[in-house]
This record gives sequence, C-alpha cells and structure tokens, in this order.
Amino acid sequence: MRTQIFAAVMALVLLVAGPAMADTIKFGVLSDLSGPTSSVGVPYAKGVQDCVKHLNDTKFLGEHTLQALQVDYAYNVQQALSAYKKFKTEGIVALQGWGTADTEALTRFVAQDKIPCFSASYSAHLTNPQNAPYNFIVVADYTTNLRGILKYFKDKWTEERAPKLAFIYPDHPYGLTPLEGGKAYAKELGYELVGDEHVDLKAMDATSQLLTLQGKAPDFCWIGGTTPTTSVILKDAQKLKMKTVFFTNIWGVDEDLIKLAGDAAEGTYTVQGGSTGYDDTPGNKIILALTGGEIPMTHYYRGFASTYVMAELIRRALEKGALTGEAVKNEAEAMRDFDPLGLTPPVSYFPDDHRPTMTSFIYKIEDGKLVKKGTEVLERKAEWLGK
Amino acid sequence: MQGKCGLFFESYREEAALLVGGFQKARFAALLVVLCVCPFVLNAYHLSILILINIAVVGAVSLNLLTGMCGQISLGHGAFLGVGAYACGALTLQGVPFLVALPAAGCITAATGMLFGIPSLRLKGIYLAIATLAAQLILQYIFLHWDAVTGGSIGLALDPPSIAGMTFDTDEKMFYLTLGVAMVMLVMASNLMRSRHGRAFVAIRDFYLSAEIVGVNLFAYKLMAFAVSSFMAGVAGGLWGHYLQFVTPEPFGLGLSISYLAMCIIGGLGSIQGAVFGAIFLTLLPEVLTWLLEVGSAVFPGASQYLVAAKEGVFGLVLVLFLIFEPEGLQRRWRLFKAWCKLFPFAY
Repeated sequence: MRTQIFAAVMALVLLVAGPAMADTIKFGVLSDLSGPTSSVGVPYAKGVQDCVKHLNDTKFLGEHTLQALQVDYAYNVQQALSAYKKFKTEGIVALQGWGTADTEALTRFVAQDKIPCFSASYSAHLTNPQNAPYNFIVVADYTTNLRGILKYFKDKWTEERAPKLAFIYPDHPYGLTPLEGGKAYAKELGYELVGDEHVDLKAMDATSQLLTLQGKAPDFCWIGGTTPTTSVILKDAQKLKMKTVFFTNIWGVDEDLIKLAGDAAEGTYTVQGGSTGYDDTPGNKIILALTGGEIPMTHYYRGFASTYVMAELIRRALEKGALTGEAVKNEAEAMRDFDPLGLTPPVSYFPDDHRPTMTSFIYKIEDGKLVKKGTEVLERKAEWLGK
Repeated sequence: MQGKCGLFFESYREEAALLVGGFQKARFAALLVVLCVCPFVLNAYHLSILILINIAVVGAVSLNLLTGMCGQISLGHGAFLGVGAYACGALTLQGVPFLVALPAAGCITAATGMLFGIPSLRLKGIYLAIATLAAQLILQYIFLHWDAVTGGSIGLALDPPSIAGMTFDTDEKMFYLTLGVAMVMLVMASNLMRSRHGRAFVAIRDFYLSAEIVGVNLFAYKLMAFAVSSFMAGVAGGLWGHYLQFVTPEPFGLGLSISYLAMCIIGGLGSIQGAVFGAIFLTLLPEVLTWLLEVGSAVFPGASQYLVAAKEGVFGLVLVLFLIFEPEGLQRRWRLFKAWCKLFPFAY
C-alpha cells in the first residue's frame, strides 16, 4: 500500500513538474518607451515582443519557451545599468539592447559577464570584436549604409562632372559616427564635397543652414539626424525650392516622416538595413498576420529580425548542449548567411569581424510610401572594420 | 543643535563634533556595519543601485557645497562630472595608477571649475546660472570633439579600477571602493563646513555685502567653493567612469546637471545630510517607479502604456510637490521624525 501511495505521489509530482521542466529561456529587453527616443523605441520594442510571441506559438525552440524581461529605461544610462544588473540576477542568456547610450555603456559589462547584446545602435565600432566582443547588430552599421547609398548614387550618375555632396547632421555622437568613413569613401568614389552643416536633433528651423548650402548647389545631401530633424530640413528645403536630392540614414525616414513632412518628403531617399512593411518577404507575411494586417513602422521589423536572429542562435546553442551566453556568441561567430525570413539581408558573423552584412537596401518615398529602389552590396574590406 | 535632555557643551570643540553623544555614535556605527554587510546579502542588482547611490552622494554633496552652502547656482555640474570621468579615464589609460588618477582627476576638474567660476564675482543668481550653463555646453562640445583625449563620439573604454594589485572588477569590490570614497568625501565636506572657510561660504550665501564687510574675500571664497565642489564632482565622475568602464559624452548632459540640482532641492539645500538623502531618493525613484509599473501592469494589463507615459511625469510632480510642501527637503522631515521619536508618546 505504502509503495502504491509513493508511486501515485511520484506520478503526480512528475505530472505537475513535467511542463515546468521544459525550460524558460530568459533574455533582457532594454526599451525606451517613455524617453527621448520613445517614438521609435515603442515600435521596435513591439517588434521584439511580437517575435517572442511568434516563436513561442510556433514552438521554434521546441519545448523551451522564450521569455522577454523588459525594462523601460527612458534612454538613461544609469537606469540601463541597473536594469542590466537586474536582468543578470534573473539569469538572462542574451540581451536586446536599444540605443547608443546604453549599448556603449554596457559594452564592457556584457563582455565580462559573457552575455551577447543585440542592439539597435548601429555604430560601426560595435562591429569590431576587439572593442566589443559580445556586441552584435543584425543590419549593416551606419557607416556601411552611408557607403552603400553613396555608391548607389555614383553608379546612377550620368553627367560628366563630379557629383556635389553635402552633409547635414547633428553635432552629437550619433550624427558624427559615420562621417569620417563616409566622407573618405565619397572622395574615393569621386564626389566633390561641398559643405557640412549642423542641424540639432531638436531643431525647429534649418533655413539658415540650407541657405548656406543652396549657394553651393549640392546634387546630393546626407541628413544624419532623426525623423523630426529630417522633416524640418525637408520642409525648409521645399520652401527654398532646392533641387538637391536628400538622403537619410536608417533613423531619418520612417512612416512618421511621411506624416510630418507630407509632400516635402516625396523623392527623399533613405538607406535601410532591413526590409519594410511594403516588401513581399516571408517575415512580412508573419508580421502582418500578427498585427492583423496593419503595417507596423520600419523599426518594428528590425526589432523582430534582431530577436529572430538571437532566437536562432539560442536554438543552435541548445542543439549542441548547454545554453550559455558564451555558447550563443560562439554560435553567432559560426553563423553564415542566415536569412531571418527576408527581414534583413543574410547575416554572418566572424570571430574577428562582427559586421552582419555588407548589404544595404535603398528606398525612396513615392506617393507617401517607402518603395525599394535597389540593393547595394559592398566588399567586406578589412580596413573598414569598426570605422 | 537639538540634543538629548541635559546635554551641555563645555567647549566649542565639543559642540562642533560631527557625532554628539553615545547614541549618535552607536547609530552611525550600526549604519556602517549594515552597509559593510550589504555585499554579502544583496544581489548584483541591488548592489549596483547602492554603488550608483554612493557615486550620486558624492556628486550631490559637491553641488550642495556650492549651491546650498555658498549660494552659487551651477547648471554645469553634469559636465564637471564628465570632466572628472574623462580625466580619470585618460590618466589611467596612460598607465597612471587609479589611486593617483582619481584625485588628479579631481584636481583637473577643480581647475576647470575655477575657470568657469570666475564670472561668479560679477554674476549672481539667474545670470550665474546662465554662465554655468555655458560651461556645460562648452565642456560637452570639448568631450565630443577633442578626439585625441576623449575619443570623440566613440568614447573611452576603461579597465576596472585597480589599487595595489587588487582589481575592483565585481560589484562587491566596487561597492566598498565607492563607499570608502563617499565616506572620505562626506567627512571632508563636513569638516570644511565646520571651519572658518565653511562659515565664510554661508556668510556669502546669506548676504554677500555683510560677508565682505566682515572681511570675507568674496572672489577667493567663491572660487574656493567652485574648486572644492568641482574637485568632488570630478571624483564622482572618475568613479562613475570606472564603474561603467566606458565614458561617452551622452550621460553628462544638462539632464544630469538638473538631476543633481533636484537632489539638492529634494534633500534640502545647504545640508550635507540633505544631499545624501536627495541622492538616495532620486537614484531610487526610477527603480521604484519601474517596480510599480511592473506591479501595475500585472494588475491592470490594459493600463501599462499609460503607466509608462506617467513615469516621466511623476519625476516632475515629485519635484513640484517637494517645492510646495517641503521646501527644506527630506532633511527637515528627518529632523521632524527624530523630534517625534524623542517626544513620543507625549508631544510636549
């Protein structure tokens, strides 16, 4: 009788404990939901969360489930740091970071704690494993993107003279990062650099800067800010009837810009690392099913892709045995041409080179929509790593 | 001085003592013991908050010396912390030992503070605030563009501090280091305030003309206030930079200056204890709000997005409520609480 009771109890324990034994794999999500970058931080974070939902629904990790521990750090380094420490105590294996401020501040910590950090800060120096061994991004870095679009314009240039190029950017780490590499490459391609202007991230007016540039008549002008700055510049350029073709980086154009700048946004080019809701990709079909047909902002797609790549690495690490941050990193560095459902170009990382891809997508705003105009693939030059 | 019943001082020295009576000494010793035990009982998250509090305490006390004691308002304190962080980082990268680099960074920041404090002889109140705001902007520009020293937009990657062969690479070790430095700085600030220099600061704050008439050299003392305050800010910055092991221009913006000013106001202007309270309060506030948000979202899942939006507003609301209902800050609340304990249960 006693044995029977024991067996029954054991069976019950196993029954109750059974589902719990399937591991929950935790990862941290640092989001800016209420701070200065929240307008783009909210859709990005939604992309991360929706990806987790999709992966768990489709049993991507088999019996394991992914759990996203999210903290809104309001783009404050101190809060990012304490959130990270909190994640660490809860046993995360990877981190989805957000902006430049938190990603750079945590570079050393994630390396010491061996927790791979996938972030949306695409500064080129984060792709050099010597500086940031545990940092990963899933789309081309800012400088590679700038080089890509410069090459695209140069290839399309038909006139005899050298194309004139100007730069508008905020005097801020984010605005300055890609300039050195971008300008050097522009000179190499044969552009004539005609001028630089500063427009602050919170600027309400850019007329004086644009008047100075108008005198120099650039054919192309880079806007290295965010959507609010881009909209101010484009509207003022329309007022001044400038003929220049404006092009922006990854954070300079999204669906909000089309609402903010209206007509003035027409004809603006942008270089994007990932695909958008207007592209026909397997990932987009899943996303549209998740959102009920509503097209989310471009940033959502990168949040989704970043989480998808991370999950794939976790899956590969699980297949090989113990799941640790180091195992995820090693899997990342062995990853070659992994296609995250077409949401970004195929991703590869190398032990000495964390540039995920050298491919950039070129989009143009036509009739209030982002229309894909081309794909630019650059050579993976060693001297460009981290610059 | 509010002491216990029957407490009489027979000399000025006795009256000026930092800790009066056995009970205060015992209480302080108990606090120290509790703090020293913290690394053994707390997890990395709670410990990192305590480290940030230690650093914030040094920064807040330094600003309270300048603004609360000497009456010189400064909106450039965030940038002074930055100078300390960069100076300490650049020195240790050159191979200077941390124990030398930290005070040296303090001295470099003190020199910077004195330079930007020069206008204080002629400017007062809001005008001085704008002059120090200019310091904030100029220094931020230097952080971003002096690539050779500051690393420009990429910043400086540092190693954990190392003293006499011991590397402070864990939260536990960093906690003791920051606690030690915070204690030294607190004793330094308290001692300064009991000296003739400290009394000169207060005299300048209360009425500069009277101070000058009794023989206080306004210019020298104002500069001294800037120097001492910036020195401590530099030390706080050096600790912060080495704790994070990465120094970039972004954290040292105007927002940091404002939050240090808020710490002084919430804690109580002109009180070292107040600055400590303010630093603790403002470092804990976002963490408590995040925790409340988590709890709130679990109870009302639909309301989470509104709660997130409210988070930023709460910071402003707390500041306004303090200004209206407790302009003397947490420090006065603490005094009232102590008085209440003393008189309980008969409030006579």
